[in-house]
Amino acid sequence: MVFTNGFMLGIANGGTCLATCAPVLVPYLLGEGRTPRANVVSLGGFLGGRLVGYMLFAVLAWLTHSLLFEDLPHQRGVFGAATIVLALVMIVYGFAGGDHTCRGTALCGIRARLLRARPFWVPVGLGLLTGVNVCPPFLLALVSSARLSELGQSLLFFAGFFVGTSVCLAPLPVVGLAGRRERIKTIGRLATGVVGLFYLYSGVVSLIAEWH
Amino acid sequence: MADHSPAPRRLLKAFLLSLPMILLMAMMVTGGQPLPKDLLRLISLAVTYVFIVVMFFLMVYTGRTHRYRSVLFVVYAVCFVMTFIPNLIETRGSMSISRAEMIQGHTPFCHMVIPTTLIPAALSRTIIFPGSMLEGFAPIGFMLVLWLGVSIALGRAWCSWGCFYGGLDEGFSKIGRRPILKNVPRKWTYLPFAVLVAVALLSAATLTPMYCAWLCPFKTVTEFEAVTSATTLVQAGIFVSLFAALVVVLPLLTKRRTQCGLFCPMGAFQSFTNLFNIFDVRIDGTKCVQCGRCEKACPTFSIDRETIENGRTRMTCTKCGRCVDDCPKGAISYHIKGTPIGVRAQTARMIFIYPAFLLLGIMGSRMIAAAVYRVLLLVTTGSLIK
Repeated sequence: MVFTNGFMLGIANGGTCLATCAPVLVPYLLGEGRTPRANVVSLGGFLGGRLVGYMLFAVLAWLTHSLLFEDLPHQRGVFGAATIVLALVMIVYGFAGGDHTCRGTALCGIRARLLRARPFWVPVGLGLLTGVNVCPPFLLALVSSARLSELGQSLLFFAGFFVGTSVCLAPLPVVGLAGRRERIKTIGRLATGVVGLFYLYSGVVSLIAEWH
Repeated sequence: MADHSPAPRRLLKAFLLSLPMILLMAMMVTGGQPLPKDLLRLISLAVTYVFIVVMFFLMVYTGRTHRYRSVLFVVYAVCFVMTFIPNLIETRGSMSISRAEMIQGHTPFCHMVIPTTLIPAALSRTIIFPGSMLEGFAPIGFMLVLWLGVSIALGRAWCSWGCFYGGLDEGFSKIGRRPILKNVPRKWTYLPFAVLVAVALLSAATLTPMYCAWLCPFKTVTEFEAVTSATTLVQAGIFVSLFAALVVVLPLLTKRRTQCGLFCPMGAFQSFTNLFNIFDVRIDGTKCVQCGRCEKACPTFSIDRETIENGRTRMTCTKCGRCVDDCPKGAISYHIKGTPIGVRAQTARMIFIYPAFLLLGIMGSRMIAAAVYRVLLLVTTGSLIK
C-alpha cells in the first residue's frame, strides 16, 4: 500500500519530474549519441544515481529525527554546493570537447579520461547530483512520507515514488538516438554546457543566500 | 547575372518590374488611410516611401540583392530602436519595467519568445510569457500568424528580411574593411542550436521564458526588468555584456552577424523552416571555381567547403543574398526547389525578392516613418519625446 501510494504520486507528478530532469539528461544523451541499448543503460545509471540521492535524504532526515525537510540544517548551502558540482560537471562535459578547437587541454584531459575509464559513472553522477537537488515533486513526496513512522516504510514510499516518476523518463533514450549524427552530438554537448552555466549561477546564488 | 541590354531599356524594364512594388508600398506606407494633415508626419511618410521604393528599384536595376537589402535592413533596425525607446519613455517614463507591470501584461510579445514557449505550452497549456496576451490574444495572435506565414513562404529569410533585431549586428559587421578574427571554429556555429535546446528545456523546467529573462542581448536597447535585486542586477549585466560582445564587438572583429550566426536560438529554430520552404540558395558546381569567397562572406556561417561541394548552403542560410552578390562567377543563385539549378536564375530571384522585400517594406515602413518623425520632432522642438 505504501509503495502504491508513492507510485501513484510519482505517476501524477511525472510530467514535472520530466521537465526537471530533462535539461540535465537530454543534452547528455544527445551528446553521446550511442545505441538505444547504451542510452537505456545511461538512463538506468542516471535513475540509479537519482534514487541514491533520494534515499540519502530520506535516511539523513530519519537520522536527524526531522522528517520534515525544512528542519535540515544549512539546506540552501547543501543544495547550492551540489548544484555547483553538477554545473561544473556539465560545463566540463559540454565545453571541454575533445576536438581541435578546444584550448583547455587540462579540462579536455579530465573529460576524456572520465569518459574513457568510467563512462557509466557520468550519468550516475549526474543523477545523484540531480537527486540531491530538491524539485517540486520531490518535496511533495517528502512531505507525504513525513507521516510514515518507520524508516522502512519511508524508503518503500520513496521507491514507489521513484518508479512512478521514472515511467515518464522512459522515452528519453529514444531522444538520444538523434545524437548518432556527429552534428547533433556537438549540439548536445554544447547544450549541456549552457545548462551547466545556468545551474552554476543558481548554485552560487543559493550559497550566497546561505552565507547571508 | 548582369543584364547587358542598353541603359534606357534596362531602366524601363527595371521600372516596370518595380511598378507593382511601388504601388503596393504606397498602400503599405500610408496604411490605406488618407494622407495626414500634420506636416511632419507627411514628410516622414514621403521620405520613408521614397527611400524604400528607391532601394527596391536599385535592387532590380543592378541585380544586386544584398547591397540594398542590407542598407534597408540596418536602417530598419536602427529606426526600431529609435522608435521603441522614446515610445517607452513617453508611455512609461523609463526603459525598465516593474515586476507588477509585467504581471499585468504590459510586456510586448516579440518573435524571439516563440521557441521557448512551445514546449511549456504543450506540457502545461500555458503560455509562459507575461505579455500582452493577458489583455487579449490579438498581439500574440498577430505575431504568431505573421511568423508562421513568413516561415512557410520564406523560411529562415525571416532573419534577414523581417527580424527587427538582425540589422543591428549586421550594421556593426559592416564597419571596418577587413576582419580581424578570420577563423571561427566550426563547433561554435552549432551553438545557436545548443542554446535553443537549453532554453527550451529550462523554460519547460522553470516555466519562465528563459531567453527573455536571462539571455536576450536586445533587452539592452528595448526594455528590461527594473533593477531592484541582485538577480535583476545580474540579468541586466548579462544583457549588456551579451549585447556588447555579440552585437557590437564580435561583428566588428569578424565582419559577420555573430548574434544571428553564433547565438540566437530563434534563428536556430527558424532554420528548420528552410527544410519545407520552396526557396533556397544553390551553388552551380559547373561554374564554381572553389575560390572560397562565399565562405568568407557569408554573414551567418552558412557556407563551408562541405556545402560548396554539395552545391548548397547549410540549413541556417538566411537568404540575405550576400554570396549571390559576391560570387565572381555567378555560380550562386536563388533557386526554387524542384527546378534545374542556375536556369532562369533571375526569374527565381525576382519570385523570391518580391515577397521578401514586401515583408521588409511592410515591417520597416512603420518603423522608419516613426523614426524620421522623431528626428523631425528633434529638429523642430529640440526633443525626441512629445
